[in-house]
Amino acid sequence: MAVLANPRLVSELEHYGAQDVVKCYHCGNCTAACPFSREPFIFPRKSMRFLQMGLEDKLRGNLEPWLCYYCGECSEQCPREAEPGETMMAMRRWLTGQYDFTGISKLFYRSWKVELFAILLVALLTGIGFFLYGSSRGDIGIYDGPGAFLPSSMVHWFDWGMAAVLAGLLLVNCVRMWWFTTGRDRTLHIPLSSYVQKAWLLPVHFFTQKRYRECNRKRPWLIHLVLMLSYVTMLVLIMFFLHAMQSGPAIRWTAHVFGYAATIGLLGTVAFALRGRVRSVETHYRHSHETDWMFLIMLAYVALTGIVQHVLHRAGNAPAANVVYLAHLMGVVPMLVLEVPFSKWAHMAYRPLAMYFAEVQTEAITAREKDRAAIRAAGSQPA
Amino acid sequence: MISESRIGVYFCRRSSSPAGQADLAELSRYAAAFPHVTDVKDFGELPHLDPEALTREFTKLRLTTVVIAGDSPGFFKPAFARALAEADGDPERVRLASFREHGALYGNITERAKAVLCCAIYGVPYGLATVPDTTPVHPDTLVVGGGIAGMQAALEIADGGMKVYLVEREPTIGGHMAMFDKTFPTLDCAACILTPKMVSVGQHEMIELMTWSEVEKVSGTPGAYRVQVRRKARYVDADACVACHACMEVCPIRVDSEFDSGITTRKAIYIPFPQAVPNSYILDAANCTYVQSERQKCGACLKRCAKDCIHFDDVDQVIELEVGNIILATGYDVFDATRIERYGYGHLPNVLTALEFERLTNASGPTGGNIVMKTKKLNKRTKQEEWVFDPEGPRPESIAIIHCVGSRDANYNPYCSRVCCMYSLKFAHLVKEKLPNAKCYEYYIDMRAFGKGYEDFFERIKDEGVFVVRGRSAKVTEKDGGLLLRGEDILSDKVMEFPVDMVLLAVGLEPAPGTGELASVLGIPRDEDGWFQELDYNTDPTGTERGGVYVAGVCQGPKDIPDTVAQASAVAARVLRSIVSHRGQDSRSSLPLAQIESRARRLAGV
Ligand SMILES: Cc1cc2nc3c(=O)[nH]c(=O)nc-3n(C[C@H](O)[C@H](O)[C@H](O)COP(=O)(O)OP(=O)(O)OC[C@H]3O[C@@H](n4cnc5c(N)ncnc54)[C@H](O)[C@@H]3O)c2cc1C
Ligand code: SF4
Ligand code: SF4
Ligand code: SF4
Ligand code: SF4
Repeated sequence: MAVLANPRLVSELEHYGAQDVVKCYHCGNCTAACPFSREPFIFPRKSMRFLQMGLEDKLRGNLEPWLCYYCGECSEQCPREAEPGETMMAMRRWLTGQYDFTGISKLFYRSWKVELFAILLVALLTGIGFFLYGSSRGDIGIYDGPGAFLPSSMVHWFDWGMAAVLAGLLLVNCVRMWWFTTGRDRTLHIPLSSYVQKAWLLPVHFFTQKRYRECNRKRPWLIHLVLMLSYVTMLVLIMFFLHAMQSGPAIRWTAHVFGYAATIGLLGTVAFALRGRVRSVETHYRHSHETDWMFLIMLAYVALTGIVQHVLHRAGNAPAANVVYLAHLMGVVPMLVLEVPFSKWAHMAYRPLAMYFAEVQTEAITAREKDRAAIRAAGSQPA
Repeated sequence: MISESRIGVYFCRRSSSPAGQADLAELSRYAAAFPHVTDVKDFGELPHLDPEALTREFTKLRLTTVVIAGDSPGFFKPAFARALAEADGDPERVRLASFREHGALYGNITERAKAVLCCAIYGVPYGLATVPDTTPVHPDTLVVGGGIAGMQAALEIADGGMKVYLVEREPTIGGHMAMFDKTFPTLDCAACILTPKMVSVGQHEMIELMTWSEVEKVSGTPGAYRVQVRRKARYVDADACVACHACMEVCPIRVDSEFDSGITTRKAIYIPFPQAVPNSYILDAANCTYVQSERQKCGACLKRCAKDCIHFDDVDQVIELEVGNIILATGYDVFDATRIERYGYGHLPNVLTALEFERLTNASGPTGGNIVMKTKKLNKRTKQEEWVFDPEGPRPESIAIIHCVGSRDANYNPYCSRVCCMYSLKFAHLVKEKLPNAKCYEYYIDMRAFGKGYEDFFERIKDEGVFVVRGRSAKVTEKDGGLLLRGEDILSDKVMEFPVDMVLLAVGLEPAPGTGELASVLGIPRDEDGWFQELDYNTDPTGTERGGVYVAGVCQGPKDIPDTVAQASAVAARVLRSIVSHRGQDSRSSLPLAQIESRARRLAGV
């Protein structure tokens, strides 16, 4: 069966940051050098080939970009400077766009102006909404308790509402991911039991990022893990303990200590990543897509405004704390609304899922190979 | 017709090129002054050309002709050709003003670039408008480098009855070919072809051989060069020495043998190999105890030499030559494999370079042609364990050959070295011939079997049971005392690991050390990879920027022996022509811009 090629695929991926794909001459050095590449998922060379040949559909069903952690080993050894590591990164961006059914993701990746505009728009709407709400029911001079400008109960409900919508969007995208990479492949017979048996892999990969550790350099893994755990801690605090977080002005150590730890984790890793991208020495920081910058800058903005509103609140300056809190929300909401389902944050879901699917597929692929071998053996026997 | 043309001149630069040295602002003004030039633009470095925007522009300007100007501007041609075609123009009328390729590299670069641009605007081949004037010629010729290229050229000219000085830096002529056992694809015995040629060169009455010598200075003009050659002290009278080996037998010093690529040792007084020409010993002063101790210790060889031909008071001599033509045939050096750490060369004893293997498999080499593994042995004299190739040592059961070592690699040399695929196949054949039961793997990216009979040779090697793996091996490590080779076989999409006993690295070719110095002594350019720049790749691959200076063999770019010999003979023909006709070629750069312009106008019929 022939496969339809898309001759414009290479130039399409250029928008996602893959600049040098055509240079690849398929020596396979990268694949042999990649610490993550192993049967039956052998990469990155083959993905480079899919791209060069315009095999869009194959690429869409490709799990391999998610199995790559951008350790940069391949790019360093590539004799053609084809930047296979960066290409894998670009493919992840492209895949995020493919999984997203709304098409918003594609818009963002292809034009940073659109993304910036969307961020500003959502920020503005958030600001206006909360301001109208606050000034109609509360008093800008009160931070928490009765009459508060932005009462935690209201923000809490808002958070849950937003979370439900985002989770819904993300879930649809995840299902699409499953369909493209696993579900639609008729040659793979994956029993339901296999999905259930391997389900434990999801939380394990999510929380430990253990595969990343197989990289020769441990530092990127550590940074990534700290960033992710800090982020998740923050999310849990906000979703479940917002009331405790926002009460004051006295410090509530039982809740706040986690907040402090997470903030330090976030700021530290963001600073590290920003420094890396500015210096752009290490392979995985050498190329930066606009979305990478926006992601880091937003994260830094949210963390900093969060600290300031917290400090102002503790210092007893409620009006100022309220204003900064509003500014903080104007950062948080666009970050979550736009990044989680449509942009860089989505990989928090896609990556563990990919590993899970890969694991499930491996079993089915092995079984398939065995069947085929048996059929071949039977066929070669005299009747 | 030029009178109806509407020409757009566009400057484009490739980041890798050192160009931009030409003054583009001045060149733009120069181009704009031509009556038919409608548009001039500088697109800058590695421009991202949008054919649609270009098409709109060309349509608006009603362009008939486009000139792309810069170093290697052909790189940008497709976008312009497409745009011109879509703007209802003739894509054939995209012309290139190739600065670097036409020698706008040295001297007054902008002036030269103007001449190139002018010819492109008029649509006149640059070579045609710039045929240099002729000069009188001195009948003697200098050949630099005594490899197969230099010997071939020298013999052709000397056989034509003209005097040749052959300057060779090493103690003997022969070059790399002298180290080989067999040559691909015919599997002829290399020595059987080469030795008679070497002997002829040594005995020819019209060839004055100067080995252990180097060119220091060149002055004068095309057709009348004055050359200063330094004849280094040899300490052995080459004419008197009969190569009786007596001195060598008593010399206590051992150093790595250059001729044997370091797989064995030689003495401080030595002859590179038994068939060396001149067939004489030479003393390596840097390693001789007598010289280094200021004549206090040793001196054993001096006492043993029956012919009295060892002279410790020998000194360098500077010799002045007058010649009409100079032929450069300085060949190559191989890539230094220690630069790629992951192949383990230098610390894994059984990872060898190609030249080491040539010596190992050579019937007159240190193991008598036995392919053996390097093993540890006790050196009785120093009482230390050493890794040596013992002729009786263990034979490898499996050998892997890695192609493209240092070649086709942006981190090292981006070009293809052109001979290593074929010599690797030759190696595989030699392995199969000498060790029929050994497994042999070739790890290649693309098999460049381009020459006559080469594809057949490739097929033959596959029939002999050699495994060819398409992929570049990523690394060599030690495992269970043997070697483990890891790489992807891209045809089966599998990462393979082969345990082998020996790994051969098909190291690429690089310009011989000193090529840069020689180029500046002569005032000729080198290409981006460091080889001597030929005058015109298509129409004058043997000439250079300077009149009367020619290139032959690998020093102009990697090539095999047949091509080397062909080029050397071609050069000889050109030299003989100039001598016979008493008309040599002046340098192209001798033509002033105004003259090139007027010639271009005449040729264009303006
Ligand atoms: C491992 C290996 C195997 C090969 N096998 C084959 C084969 O089987 N068949 C084949 O066709 N080709 C083969 N080749 C290619 C072949 O070696 C070349 O085509 C050929 O040797 C080129 O000859 P040359 O005279 O240009 O250069 P060289 O052989 O390098 O000779 C150059 C000479 O110039 C001298 N010299 C250098 N600089 C100076 C200086 N500044 N002043 C004075 N003298 C100087 C050098 O000492 C040397 O003697 C092989 C190459 C390698 C590396
Ligand atoms: S190492 Fe580079 S050239 Fe080789 S296959 Fe990988 S990407 Fe392509
Ligand atoms: S960046 Fe690292 S993990 Fe990703 S493909 Fe390259 S070598 Fe493998
Ligand atoms: S004098 Fe020098 S060359 Fe002669 S035998 Fe002694 S060390 Fe060797
Ligand atoms: S000749 Fe073959 S081995 Fe040598 S550089 Fe070219 S492709 Fe590589």
